[in-house]
Amino acid sequence: MSVLSRENCERLFWLGRYSERVYTGLRDFMEKFDAMTGSPSAGEYAKHFCFDSNNPDSVSFSLMRAYDNAIVLRDETGTETFSYIQLAVYEMKNAAKSAAPLLPLQKVIDNIAAFWGMADDRIEDEKVRGIIKLGKRIERVDLYARMNADKEDIRREVRRLSYRIGRAGLSYSTEGLSRINALAECEEIDRAGIVREVEALITFAE
Amino acid sequence: MAIPEELYPYSGSVNELLARYGVKFGIYKNGVFNEQLFPFDIIPRIIERREFEYLERGLKQRVKALNEFIRDVYSDKKIIADGVIPEDFVYSGSGWLAQCDGVNPPQNIYSHISGIDLVQAKNGEWFILEDNLRIPSGASYPMIARELCRRSAPSVFAENRIEDNRNYAQLLRRTMDYVNTGGLSVILTPGRFNAAYFEHSYFAELTGARLVTCEDLVVEDEHLYFKDYSGKKEQVGAVYRRISDEYLDPVNFNRESLIGVPHVFEIYKKGRVALLNAPGNGAADDKGIYYFVPAMIRYYLHEDPVLNNAPTYLLYYERDMKYVLEHFDSLVIKDVAEAGGYGIIFGDSLSAEKKAEFIDLLKAEPRRFIAQEVIDFKDIDIFDGEAGKRVPRKADFRAFVLMNDEPVVWKSGLTRFSRNPDSFVVNSSQGGGFKDTWVMEE
Repeated sequence: MSVLSRENCERLFWLGRYSERVYTGLRDFMEKFDAMTGSPSAGEYAKHFCFDSNNPDSVSFSLMRAYDNAIVLRDETGTETFSYIQLAVYEMKNAAKSAAPLLPLQKVIDNIAAFWGMADDRIEDEKVRGIIKLGKRIERVDLYARMNADKEDIRREVRRLSYRIGRAGLSYSTEGLSRINALAECEEIDRAGIVREVEALITFAE
Repeated sequence: MAIPEELYPYSGSVNELLARYGVKFGIYKNGVFNEQLFPFDIIPRIIERREFEYLERGLKQRVKALNEFIRDVYSDKKIIADGVIPEDFVYSGSGWLAQCDGVNPPQNIYSHISGIDLVQAKNGEWFILEDNLRIPSGASYPMIARELCRRSAPSVFAENRIEDNRNYAQLLRRTMDYVNTGGLSVILTPGRFNAAYFEHSYFAELTGARLVTCEDLVVEDEHLYFKDYSGKKEQVGAVYRRISDEYLDPVNFNRESLIGVPHVFEIYKKGRVALLNAPGNGAADDKGIYYFVPAMIRYYLHEDPVLNNAPTYLLYYERDMKYVLEHFDSLVIKDVAEAGGYGIIFGDSLSAEKKAEFIDLLKAEPRRFIAQEVIDFKDIDIFDGEAGKRVPRKADFRAFVLMNDEPVVWKSGLTRFSRNPDSFVVNSSQGGGFKDTWVMEE
C-alpha cells in the first residue's frame, strides 16, 4: 500500500463524491427533462440545472469539480482510469451544444460508470480504491436523503455505506454511523438528520 | 527509411486518443489559464542509426562539458581564471546563483536531465540551438504518442526496426535513484496550473515516484520528509523538481514563493537530499553562455566539438557588434533572458525606424542580446488531414540526455514544428505542434 498525502486523500474522496453527484444528478435530470418534453421551460431548466457551470447545483459544475480532482490524481488512478472523466467532460460539452442533449448525456453517464469500473479493476492500491468508493457511497446516501428517495432505497444505501466505510482506512465516527443506521430504520426517516450525520462522518487529519 | 504512409489514416484517431488521455499543456493568455491540446502530426521525424550515433556522441560530449562548467563556476572557477570565459558573462547572467557557490550536489551531477534543442539545415548539418539544463520538458509527448500510434498501426512497428522509446520512465527513475540520498523519490510540481502539469503527473505514474506539492513536504531535523494523510513522515532522498530555482525555497530564494519548500536548499547543501536538476544550472544555459560551449568542450574535455552551435555573435565583443550592425538584416537577434519562442527578432522584419531604435538598445545593453545567422532549416513534412496531403514545415528537435554515471541519450525525442508555413517559431505556447522522433535500429 502506498503512502498517500492528506491532500490526495481528500481529492480521492471528493472525486468519489462528485462523480456520484454527476451520475445520480444526471439520471434525475434526464428523467425530469424527458417529462418536460414540449414544455417551453424545458430549455431553461436544462441550461440551469445541467449546463450552467457557474451554478453549484448543476451537473456540469459537479463534473468540472470531479475533473479538477481527477486531473491531479493521474499518478494515483492511472491515465486509463482518468480518461473516462476526461471523456465525460467532452460529452458534457457536446450535450450543451446539442438539440437532443439526452443522447450525449447518456454517454456522460456511461463514462462515469466506466470510470468506476476501471477504478475498481485497475487501481491496485486498496486504499486509493477504497477512498473513491467511500466518497461515492457517502454522496449517494446524502443525495438520496436530500432528493426524497424511497425509504427502502435509502436503507439499502446506508447498508452499503456501513459495509464500505471501514475499508477505506480513513478515520470516521462510529457513533455517527450508528446514528445514521438508526435514523434510516425509523418508520418516518429524518432525512435532514441523515444529511447532517453523513456530512460529519469523515474527518481528515490536520 | 521512407515515410510510413500507412499511418496517415490514423492521424485523427491518434489525436482523439491524445485528447481522451488529457495530453495537454497549460497556457496563460491575458491572465486566464487555459488547457490546450498539443496538436500531433502522425508523420514521425526519422533519424537513421548512423546519424543518431553521431548526434549521440555530440550530445554526450556537450552535456559532460556543461556539467563540468557548472561544477567549475560554483567551485574553482578555473575557466574564468584561465580567461576562456569573461567573468562578467558568468556573474551577470540571471541564471547564476551566488547561493550555489561552493555547493557539491550528490554524485557531483548538476544537469541530470538535459534538453538540447537542435535544428537541421538544408544541407543536412545539425546545429545546436539551445541548451536547457533547468527543467526541460517534453519527453512525455512522444512517449504517449508512440504508444497510441503503435495501437493504431501495429504492423508499421512490427515491420520496421525502430528503437523503442518506452524506456524513458526507467531512465528517469534510474537517474533519480542514482543520486537519491536515502528515502522516497518524488516529483515536485507547482500544481495543475503549470504549463507542463500533464508531464509531471504522467512521469509520476510511470516512474512510481510520488507526485507532490510543497504542502506535502517538510524539512525537519535536517532532512526532507513527505507527510502522509495520517501525519506520518517518510524521508525523501531525491526531488525531481519541476519548479524554477527562484520559487524552490522561499527562505533562500524568492520570499514570496508559495509553491516552494522552506529550507530545502539548506539541507541540499548539506547533501541530505538530491535536487534534480541542481539549482544554479541557469549559469550554463543562458543564451549568452551558449556562445562559449564549444570553448568549454575544448577546455574541459580537450576535444573538438562534435556538434556545432548555430553561428552566433556576442554583442559584448566589439568585433561581433560591428559584424551585427553591418549584417543586421540577415541575422536573428535573441534576448538572452527570454524563452518559449519569445524575445526573437528577425533583422529584416523591422521598419527603418524600429531598426534604429533596436540598434540603440543593442548598444545600450550588449549583454542582453545575442545574434545568430538564420539557419535555413530543412523542412520536414506534416500530414495535412483536411487537404489529405503532406506539406512542408519548419521543425526543431529536442534531444534528452540523462546523466547517471555516464550520460545516456534517449533514443527518441520531441520534434516540434511550426503550423504556420511562414514561421520558424515552433514552440507549443505559440501554436506549434509536435511529432514523434523515430531512431532506427539499423
